[in-house]
Amino acid sequence: MFPTVSLAPPRFTTADEVPASMALTETRPDTDPEVDAVPAVSAPSTTVDSVLGTGDHKTIGRLWIGGGLLFLVVGLVFDVLANAEIADLSGFAIADSQDQLTQLWSLGRDLLLFAGIMPVLIGIGTYVVPLQVGSSSIAFPRAAAAAFWIWELASIILIISYVMNGGPAGGRVDYVVLWTLALGVMVAALGWALVCIATTVLGARATGMSLEMAPVTSWGFLVFATGAILALPVLLAELVIAYIDVKFGFLPTKADRSGLVSIMNSVNLAPALYFVAVPVLAMMVDIIGVHTGRPARFHRTILAIIGLFGFLAYGADMLSFAWRGRPLAFDNGVLVVATLACALPVLLTLALAGESMAKGKAKINTPLAAALLSGVMLLAGTVTAVLGTIDPILAFIEDIGDTNIDFSLDVLGTSFHWGVRAFVVGAVVLGLISAVHHWGHKIWGRSLDDRLGLLSVLAVAGGTVAWGASSIVAGFLDQLGLPTADSAGDSTVELMNGISAAGAALVAGGVALLLLNVFGVLVGRAGSAAEPWTGATLEWATASPPLPENFAEAPVVSSHTPMIDMALAEAAKDNDEVAS
Amino acid sequence: MSTAVTTDISVRETLSGDLPVAPPARPRLLMIGTAFACAAAMMLMGGLIGIYLATRAEVIASGQVWLPSGVTIPLTQPNMMAITMVFSVLIMVWAISSLGRGDRAMAYTALGLVLLMGFSVIAQTGYLLTIMELELASDVRAPLIYGVIGTHLAILGAAMVFVAVMTLRALGGEYSSKDREGVYSAAMFWYVTVFLYMVVWLAIYITK
Repeated sequence: MFPTVSLAPPRFTTADEVPASMALTETRPDTDPEVDAVPAVSAPSTTVDSVLGTGDHKTIGRLWIGGGLLFLVVGLVFDVLANAEIADLSGFAIADSQDQLTQLWSLGRDLLLFAGIMPVLIGIGTYVVPLQVGSSSIAFPRAAAAAFWIWELASIILIISYVMNGGPAGGRVDYVVLWTLALGVMVAALGWALVCIATTVLGARATGMSLEMAPVTSWGFLVFATGAILALPVLLAELVIAYIDVKFGFLPTKADRSGLVSIMNSVNLAPALYFVAVPVLAMMVDIIGVHTGRPARFHRTILAIIGLFGFLAYGADMLSFAWRGRPLAFDNGVLVVATLACALPVLLTLALAGESMAKGKAKINTPLAAALLSGVMLLAGTVTAVLGTIDPILAFIEDIGDTNIDFSLDVLGTSFHWGVRAFVVGAVVLGLISAVHHWGHKIWGRSLDDRLGLLSVLAVAGGTVAWGASSIVAGFLDQLGLPTADSAGDSTVELMNGISAAGAALVAGGVALLLLNVFGVLVGRAGSAAEPWTGATLEWATASPPLPENFAEAPVVSSHTPMIDMALAEAAKDNDEVAS
Repeated sequence: MSTAVTTDISVRETLSGDLPVAPPARPRLLMIGTAFACAAAMMLMGGLIGIYLATRAEVIASGQVWLPSGVTIPLTQPNMMAITMVFSVLIMVWAISSLGRGDRAMAYTALGLVLLMGFSVIAQTGYLLTIMELELASDVRAPLIYGVIGTHLAILGAAMVFVAVMTLRALGGEYSSKDREGVYSAAMFWYVTVFLYMVVWLAIYITK
């Protein structure tokens, strides 16, 4: 059990104030920290060098966050357009044809995950994880920088391929080929960036920090990265075959290429989509601990729960590989069990975070509000997804009992699953807002504006509920998952589609507000320069923004809350001085 | 006399426990990163071979034959490549062992031989694809076969670049008998490449 202490260890705002040693024990370190640390990359000399030629994880992290947020807004705008188009099912208003509608929908889907959500997560991981584990740099800094630039280029090429009538429903074969190529390169670049993060957690931790002492956020990123490194190559394999098929004329017509749309379904639907929520769940635990002044108890249990969540999401994705030919693979046991089980770790994590809320002193601000709502949205998504398993479970009971059950929700292939996705996406976006506000001062040296932050949280939370709930209701009314606008429309379905569009627009607006907030900090017109809070993990032991080599001396730790240990040691020292 | 006293004090200090600090354990980042890369390569090839085998099973279940008429896969080249790859593993072990013993000349020779064997596998694959007479644009089966073989060649190329870079670094003195991490990492990736070839050999060349 943690001692009840105020989370106000000394704040080190300059390199000079950092104590000579952060050692909290009398134990001699096993290794020489100077040598054990990853060599820091020297700062480039010019402004252009500092961006293009940098190997500093802090600059790379900022680039990922900025680029990812920008593409996230763009991706959400395409989602809004696709939903707005089907708000009137009698014909086409925004798109010219069904193919264009499919392109809009598909572009939004591709950008949201691989150009928006994952890059921002990688940005936060690239920036925060080395600091949390007490490393002077990220592992393979040049490779991490190369991954960013390759991803950036591939994302732009992906958009160009759609503009030039490529994409899965495109008419120009050369640009369909370009689409598969760009998507494949994006996936490879994201995977490589995650290798750098995972290696940092495994190999560059501070002296004394065993893996079970790793901060929850760093552990979450390790689970996220490990799973993604194993799962993304399988998606890449499908893209390789798609590339060869299109390039060498085996899919000459649009009808032949219709299956290309479903390639990305496997990573966009529950439970596989939950993999992007793994680090968000972990960040939620850390952030709530800081803002309530009470880190969550049962550290190792939390690590195990987050590991279980990652295993269920990825495990189901991998094992369901053989069923991927079908549009929505909810008809096999592994997916059903994983979908049912995924709600449990989310619930447990929320319960442990709730204890911090109940026993700590919570002050509602943007990071805390966003983290809590993120957990609630994720729970809503994972619990709602369970409804999708009812039909396959009933079918299974019919098979083994040789009976006929006259009941079916009939949501297979409908927008129900995209409603669940909207809840998960909303949860992740809220998690990103929480993280960017929480570590904003550490990243840019100024706090983000809290009122603007709360506004963005409200917009995203409200938008997520509207977007997700209306898509789920439309799914029960037989709205297809891949939208079609040329069918005779039910007015209720049209209303639900309109609400979905409005919800997605609100989420996009919330992310745009976050982007505006970050821009305000960058130009020095927003936020405060004073460090707003401090936490129990190592990133709070250095200046904001950190020194080029992160720490004046390589830290040595003896528990998973080194800053609390330090505060206790300082207090004990003060008491000794008073007594003497 | 004074020199003898100084030496005596130094010896006594040493014997009294003031031992020099042991060389620090460096983080084996390259090994960890390579392990992740190996896992990714295995999943990529696993995915491709999974698609290949699933498609093959569907075609055969529909009553057709898998390989189009006129296409034959001779066994001489695949078997020779398999033997070459297995030998390259032994030679890689020899390279690491030589580096460990400080026999640098032998280590460079062995690493050079590994690269040569890699080139020979690429050349044999090229020849095999020529004599198979499987036109890429001729049949829906061809992209799968070329996809699997081509991806393995790409992984082999990456492994050869990795081995070459680590050989050059060893030549430059970065790796020695005390620190073989880079060469170990390259060897790990090489072993995975060989393992993947054996899977391709079994799934495509032997099973046909």
